[in-house]
Amino acid sequence: MEAIKEQVRLPFSVAFEVVMQGIRIRFGRSLVTATGVVLGIAFLMSILSGQVIRQGVSHEAQVRTETKRMLSFLTAEMGPPKDQVIGVIQIGPLNETETRLVRTLKDRGAKAINWAAASGQAAAPPEVARLVTTTSVDKVAAGAAGLLIMGQGNLPQLDWPALLASSEQATVGATQKQAATEVAPGVPLVSLARELKPEEVEAQALEQKRTAFRNLWMTIISLVVTFICISNSLLMSVTERFKEIGTMKCLGALSSFVRKLFLIESSLIGLVGAVAGAIVGLAFAIIGYGLTFGFPLVLSSLRLGTIMFYFLPCLAAGVGLSVMAALYPASFAARMVPGTALRTNI
Amino acid sequence: MAIDPVKFDALFRKAEEQQAPCIIRAVEVEKVYRMGNEEVRALQGATVDIYKGEYLSIMGPSGSGKTTLFNMIGGLGKPTSGKVYIDQVDIAQLDYNELAWLRCRKVGYIFQTYNLIQVMTCLENVTLPMAFAGMDAEDARDKAIAILQLVGLGERILHKPGELSGGQQQRCAIARALANSPDIILADEPTANLDTHTGEEIIELMSRLKEELGVTIVSATHDLKMLKRSDRILWIEDGRIVRMAHPSEIDFSVGDFD
Repeated sequence: MEAIKEQVRLPFSVAFEVVMQGIRIRFGRSLVTATGVVLGIAFLMSILSGQVIRQGVSHEAQVRTETKRMLSFLTAEMGPPKDQVIGVIQIGPLNETETRLVRTLKDRGAKAINWAAASGQAAAPPEVARLVTTTSVDKVAAGAAGLLIMGQGNLPQLDWPALLASSEQATVGATQKQAATEVAPGVPLVSLARELKPEEVEAQALEQKRTAFRNLWMTIISLVVTFICISNSLLMSVTERFKEIGTMKCLGALSSFVRKLFLIESSLIGLVGAVAGAIVGLAFAIIGYGLTFGFPLVLSSLRLGTIMFYFLPCLAAGVGLSVMAALYPASFAARMVPGTALRTNI
Repeated sequence: MAIDPVKFDALFRKAEEQQAPCIIRAVEVEKVYRMGNEEVRALQGATVDIYKGEYLSIMGPSGSGKTTLFNMIGGLGKPTSGKVYIDQVDIAQLDYNELAWLRCRKVGYIFQTYNLIQVMTCLENVTLPMAFAGMDAEDARDKAIAILQLVGLGERILHKPGELSGGQQQRCAIARALANSPDIILADEPTANLDTHTGEEIIELMSRLKEELGVTIVSATHDLKMLKRSDRILWIEDGRIVRMAHPSEIDFSVGDFD
């Protein structure tokens, strides 16, 4: 009589081979299972990236309106920018509207934009560096139709009359809120920035709060849908193989080997499904919002970093949920008395 | 079929006096299943000794506890009370790991529905239990080819179960059961899903294996031809073993055998 020994523990590589073979042969069925994951993750991704797109679109629309308004103010003061020289004194960091304004001025045919930093010889910021001619403060207004004060900061003490003497027209505009109303006797500081009324600020805050709540709500719902979608398809694909699990147990497989098989298989299916789902979901969001708001607006408002930031949780959700949904029934079947697992009929 | 006189005598002797070694011994095995609130007493004290190298058939109407007894003596389930010894080892004392070892090497299972792994070829189905036993892949391949030739599937080793007839699939399942050279083969109605002719071939194959390899075969069956080939027949009813007889004692023509 041979003594009873411990059963051999098979390495991961054996399990991996068995899994790959299974997927190859059951390709159609694996595809159906993966489709469940694709659908779930695509839904999650389209909701998440939809939020990003909507946010970006509304931001972009705001910047565009603001730029347009500043431009029309400026045009009213100094005439159309075409073939004009415009001087810019930078007094602090620029916001998006300001850089956009510089770009728009150039687009509208401004002959030159002279750029000077109030604090000495700092170079123009990289977003506008290509469009402007950097010079010093005392030369910035030479031949200019208008002088713009850009950036957030305090209006510097400059020799305004001398500056304006070298310019063509005495128009000084500030693109952000400034305290002074006059820079020199008889020369008003035109404020191009629009000041929001208190009720507007309040309405904006409320709207922001609502949007945040709606986004959270949508994310939760999409997570639930994703959970159901993935767990349903994976549970199904495992339960229909209870018999196979029982057979393997009869042949001497350890429960740990069965778990290994389903761990590898479900994480592979989850990974492939999640990558495909994230791409499909993003594409759907872009197409959907593109048709609503116009593709150029949507594409210009897409922030790659944020989209990538959502890509990773989608992958994690896809793989994690798949593994959970497969491993639970698989280890349940593996723990079953083999005879019972064999007689399971689905 | 010629019966070994020693073995023939053994049929009428008490277990204690038995000469041939007892390979499976079930003592007062009870098994209670819980189905909802109801208790189903599938086995109510079954005692049986199975000797090395014999061919035992288990008979009984459906629901009589046939499959349960089959599972208990095969180490596929644990009895509620009573003892099952396989090769003198009490299987209740084994942990999951040792049970897996036992199922892998001591016992080969043959099922009514073949239960081959559909995504694997015949060869892979046969090498799978060898892989579980930790055998080297090339040795396993050689041994599997030899076994498949033995059961008459030498030409179809690379076919998948779906591409084979029922009889061929059952041959493959028999080859798989033999993979780790077990002492015991447990067959649960192996011919039930086959036509008469194919069933006969399978029976022929099994009794040949018994003669050539000296394995012990325990088979649950309704098949007359299988009963006639067996060394002993055991009747089970309502979870109790009610009768034990040699095929020569039974008049198969009048149908009192069921």
